[in-house]
Amino acid sequence: MASIEFHGITKSYDGTMKALSDFSLEIEDGAFCVLVGPSGCGKSTALKLLAGLEPANSGRILIDGTDVTDLGPGKRDIAMVFQNYALYPHMSVRSNMGFGLKMRSIPRAEIDRKVEEAARLLELTDYLDRRPRALSGGQRQRVALGRAIVREPKAFLMDEPLSNLDAKLRVQTRSEIVRLQQRLGVTTIYVTHDQTEALTMADKIVVMRDGVIQQIGAPDDLFHTPANIFVAGFIGSPGMNFFRGPIEFEGEAGFTRLAGARVRLAPAANDLAAIGNGEAVFGVRPEHMTVNGSEEGLPLTLALVESLGTEKILHFDMPGAEHAVMSGEENDSARRSGLLARVIDDRRYRAGDVIRIALPPEKIHVFHPETHQVVP
Amino acid sequence: MTRPDRTIETPSPSPARGTAADGAATMPYPLVPERQRTAGRLRRAFARKLAIYTGVAATSAVLLFPLYWMLVTALSPRTRLREFPPRLWPEEPQWDVFHDLLATQPFGRWMWNTSLVALSTMILSLSVSVLAAYALSRHKLRGGQSLGLFILTAKMLPATLMVIPFFVIFRSVGLVGSLWSVVLAQSTLIVPFATWMLKGYFDTIPDELEQAALVDGCSPLGTIWRIVLPVAAPGLAATALYAFVLSWSDFLYARTFLTTSQSKWTLNLGIATLKGEFITDWNVIMAGSLMAAAPIIVVYLFLERFLVGGLTAGAQK
Repeated sequence: MASIEFHGITKSYDGTMKALSDFSLEIEDGAFCVLVGPSGCGKSTALKLLAGLEPANSGRILIDGTDVTDLGPGKRDIAMVFQNYALYPHMSVRSNMGFGLKMRSIPRAEIDRKVEEAARLLELTDYLDRRPRALSGGQRQRVALGRAIVREPKAFLMDEPLSNLDAKLRVQTRSEIVRLQQRLGVTTIYVTHDQTEALTMADKIVVMRDGVIQQIGAPDDLFHTPANIFVAGFIGSPGMNFFRGPIEFEGEAGFTRLAGARVRLAPAANDLAAIGNGEAVFGVRPEHMTVNGSEEGLPLTLALVESLGTEKILHFDMPGAEHAVMSGEENDSARRSGLLARVIDDRRYRAGDVIRIALPPEKIHVFHPETHQVVP
Repeated sequence: MTRPDRTIETPSPSPARGTAADGAATMPYPLVPERQRTAGRLRRAFARKLAIYTGVAATSAVLLFPLYWMLVTALSPRTRLREFPPRLWPEEPQWDVFHDLLATQPFGRWMWNTSLVALSTMILSLSVSVLAAYALSRHKLRGGQSLGLFILTAKMLPATLMVIPFFVIFRSVGLVGSLWSVVLAQSTLIVPFATWMLKGYFDTIPDELEQAALVDGCSPLGTIWRIVLPVAAPGLAATALYAFVLSWSDFLYARTFLTTSQSKWTLNLGIATLKGEFITDWNVIMAGSLMAAAPIIVVYLFLERFLVGGLTAGAQK
């Protein structure tokens, strides 16, 4: 178990494009930290740098306070689980799990004891003498985990370890990994592009984009107080709704307009006035758009209903030209040209209905239209 | 996926199609056309198999005929070799020809020399090729692709073109008359192609396997030895076989570098000397050739699946 620190890490593969730019992060001893972001954001690069599989161009990496920047992968006392498991195909499950210990000249009897202990923990005892090709995907995944835990390393590094499993097994293995990590208490860095995995597994989430950290925080913090449009749209499923609108004032209160109606905003008038050009991007999560039974609220026309039984996703046409196209660089939800609401009720909705939707002011996030940063 | 054929409709005597007289559920389609269809499918499958087996048998006959004719020639008496029409099998096979050959010629010595040359060439060229192929496959060098293609150009030069420079070099270092001259010359021809065969195979091995071994505490060379080579075993077997067969069948270099040193003759060189100026015992030459080919045939039979697998894996990349 150990703390992990990245200090000002920069990495470029071709000398021009930076895979990681001034990457600094501290992970506490025993934490479960998830690096999340779209493909090419640099999360796997960060993991490889920590493992020692890639050299950094600049910066330092510390494990348990010791500078390991120039140490080889075998000397960092970390274990890694790969996306495609990377099991040695010519070895049995027993040899796969014991390989790391054998490389460290651990006596044979102790290797056997540790391998069998890990196999019991992962329910692999019956498969110890099989080759990896004779195992199912889930079993291979458990062997890969077993290979990591027998070493009792200072940290586990996991590079999208669930992406090759089917949806049902993924959910099951997700909780098994979390339980295993809590039981062993080993600092874990987990890389994924799936925000659901990040939200359900992490103590701490690091959202990345283009090699730059966008926000670090607990799952709830990222969901409720995103730092910018990218994080707001990336975290949550379905993603946050965005629209552009003017900023108006009445006394100390700020308002915007959507579908011709005035919508109250929570931030202080001073902060809204600081935006400067009288316009902003507003975000509200589908969960926070509530169907209003009365005649109050925004009248929105229902375009599509996705029913999942009691839960429904309502798709509304975006009124007028208020959609928030973000120059094509932001995430999908920022480019979406409609509004979504997630509701749980027994009401029957039909396309074409005009539904009254309420937007609670404290649930509306205000973003600067140029910097895309949240207005506090 | 099978699909019911709905185009066949024949009048059914039963009151409702798909229902038997006693009311039990039956097949919804008449039985006779189904039988006819099944028979048709069987006939087509049989015809297809017959065509495939006929093709395979014909190809095998063409390929195996020289071997068969070598055996017939070896077992025929010398006086019957030019008979016309030729006999498909001699009336009295002369099995003694093999014994006589072993008794009158240093065949064992030739076999030993050839084995030494083939094994040494195989080991030397494989050692060089493995490292070269690994470097070309794993390390992204500037101009690496061009370097790889340049290596392959050595394979494109005809062996005869290389004889004179080889001879000059070997004479200057005193290797003419030594088996090493053939080993080195053969290796220069084998290494380029073997490198490309192995590179293709290494390309199919995921980087993550080596990365996992490095994280597990293996050194970079240990990773090659403990992980890459065992995983690449089929590719190595195919390459080894290629090197062994090519050096076993060498004649040109042995004829050039070993002529003066009779104790160093290889099988092919020794067998070639059996051809006389005025009289040639073709049955003896064929007997020698059969014995020279036998080890290769046996090795092929054992390693054929590796060879095909190795070549295919290399071709996919």
